[in-house]
Amino acid sequence: MKTSLIASAALLALVPFGVMAQERTLTVSVYAFAQDDFKTLVYDPFEQQCGCKLVVETGNSVERLAKLEANKTNPVVDMAVVSMADALSASRKGLIDKIDTAKLTNFDKLYDLAKDPNSDGMSVGYTFYATSIAYRSDKMKIESWADLLKPEYVGHVAFPNVTTNQGPPALYMLGLALGKDTADLKGPIEAVGEKKDDIVTFYEKSSQLVQLMQQEEIWAAPIGRFSWAGFTKLDVPVAWATPKEGQTGGMNVMVVTKGAKNQDLALQFMDFWLSTDIQTKLAEKLIDSPANKDVKVSEAAANNLTYGEDTAKSLKLIPSAAALDNRDAWLKEWNAKVGQ
Amino acid sequence: MFQNRAEALALALPAAVFAAMVFLLPVAILLSEGFRLEGAWTLSAYGDFFSGTLNRTVFIRTFKLGLEVTAVSAVIGYAAAFVIVNLPPKGKGRMIGLITLPLMISPVARTYAWIVILGRTGIVNKVVTGMGFSGEPLRLLFTETAVFIGLLQLFLPLMILSLVSALENMPKDAIPAARVLGANWFQVFWKVILPLTREGLVVGGTLVFTGSLTAYITPAVLGGSKVLMLETLLYQQVSVANNFVSASVIAFMLIVMSFAANILLKRLATARNKR
Repeated sequence: MKTSLIASAALLALVPFGVMAQERTLTVSVYAFAQDDFKTLVYDPFEQQCGCKLVVETGNSVERLAKLEANKTNPVVDMAVVSMADALSASRKGLIDKIDTAKLTNFDKLYDLAKDPNSDGMSVGYTFYATSIAYRSDKMKIESWADLLKPEYVGHVAFPNVTTNQGPPALYMLGLALGKDTADLKGPIEAVGEKKDDIVTFYEKSSQLVQLMQQEEIWAAPIGRFSWAGFTKLDVPVAWATPKEGQTGGMNVMVVTKGAKNQDLALQFMDFWLSTDIQTKLAEKLIDSPANKDVKVSEAAANNLTYGEDTAKSLKLIPSAAALDNRDAWLKEWNAKVGQ
Repeated sequence: MFQNRAEALALALPAAVFAAMVFLLPVAILLSEGFRLEGAWTLSAYGDFFSGTLNRTVFIRTFKLGLEVTAVSAVIGYAAAFVIVNLPPKGKGRMIGLITLPLMISPVARTYAWIVILGRTGIVNKVVTGMGFSGEPLRLLFTETAVFIGLLQLFLPLMILSLVSALENMPKDAIPAARVLGANWFQVFWKVILPLTREGLVVGGTLVFTGSLTAYITPAVLGGSKVLMLETLLYQQVSVANNFVSASVIAFMLIVMSFAANILLKRLATARNKR
């Protein structure tokens, strides 16, 4: 009887902690893209594992960063995923904390370029993508980024606007091809500006391009690998270029908010997302290319992803500092040479 | 209906407070951004905006396209409305139904349809090349013409409906009377129809002009960044450049232009009626 009473009392004493554990809430800030799949593959399984509640806030990078800044003194979001450059911007504004990678059991499984993309210990890459040129192989041959501006091709090209994620990387590679490789991108912007009337459009959304290719409005466009799947379903021959200057790309990273109330839980969530199992599932669904080098996917999935160590090593990414420090100047130069 | 004015005001107060909190206050905060720099009130953001060639080009283009769309929709609108009011009741109902139908379809879908129609392999180019007007398909997409066509299709129903309503309220014998007195069709329109339907033209004109100024999807999809307009520039400033001051300046100009158009059209109507 006495033992039962003690056991009951102990159980009752534990109840509040149990309730507290149940009530733990992790707020994450993510891109709005593929949220139904993320819920099934990442959020729901994590909630089951941690016994906590996950609150997901979505939006584009600028909106979400503005919100982090507005709530700087009393953070709402515990963990966010943003681009490399935005992570550096957040770091400069004192919005994020160093990541304790010792608590990430999957950290060593990451490709080297994802381990500390900004070399400041404030972010960890969870997915990256290559940017190259999708082109009609029956109409043209792309061997260099400079081929896009050839007189016989330029009237059939869509180029990303400088305001898109693909714009600056594509200009950077064009600059390399034209021998005008400077961080201000003045050379390639001027070259594009000279052909601006010939170029079909400066696209804002890559989702537009499949329709334009289908309608033969365009023959070629620099795109991120995550957009590639749509082109493979067209009934016209489309190829992924391997220009002699190489491919560029971008990376999305995870950050922990400075002063976040649930930093440990945030790290637990990040580790879960970086695990081989979750990264494989996301890759097989063609949602994100894996940053975890242990991930093995089917050939079909690999063809639609930025996949493998060789690809990871070959990407020429614009350093975040260069992107941040030049972003306003790029827009100004672009508007002066191309926008009017 | 109400016993006194105070009672009516008291009843309207909750709605007025709600509207002020959720609409006026946020707009005021947004617009104040353009007049404040480092805590001080200034007009320098407006000076900076208009000192840029691109900004001036975009401002003029937006204003010009708004005027063009309004003018052309008024011309087509009068012709269509005149035909509709002279139809038998059944036909009139069907025509009104056909005109309102596009308003029930998302502007996004309507705009994307123009990509197919105006593309290199679209209907327009098939006709142009098929009839030998041009050896090569014309480039119609991502031009000012494409934006103009998209905006016209988007807002023309509003002008037609306003003018149908105005023409129906016109005395039935006004046109025959003018004709009997020897007026030609131009004089009938200028001296009789236009003065009597001016209210409808003001409403339609305001809706079309402000709609054309503030539409985002159509200029973004059919013009892209090659045909930047104020609203696409505003999006660029907010979402990419994170420049809320410049965005506030653009928003303020859009609001001022919309109000100015409405006031100007009303004044014109009133001035004409006083004569």
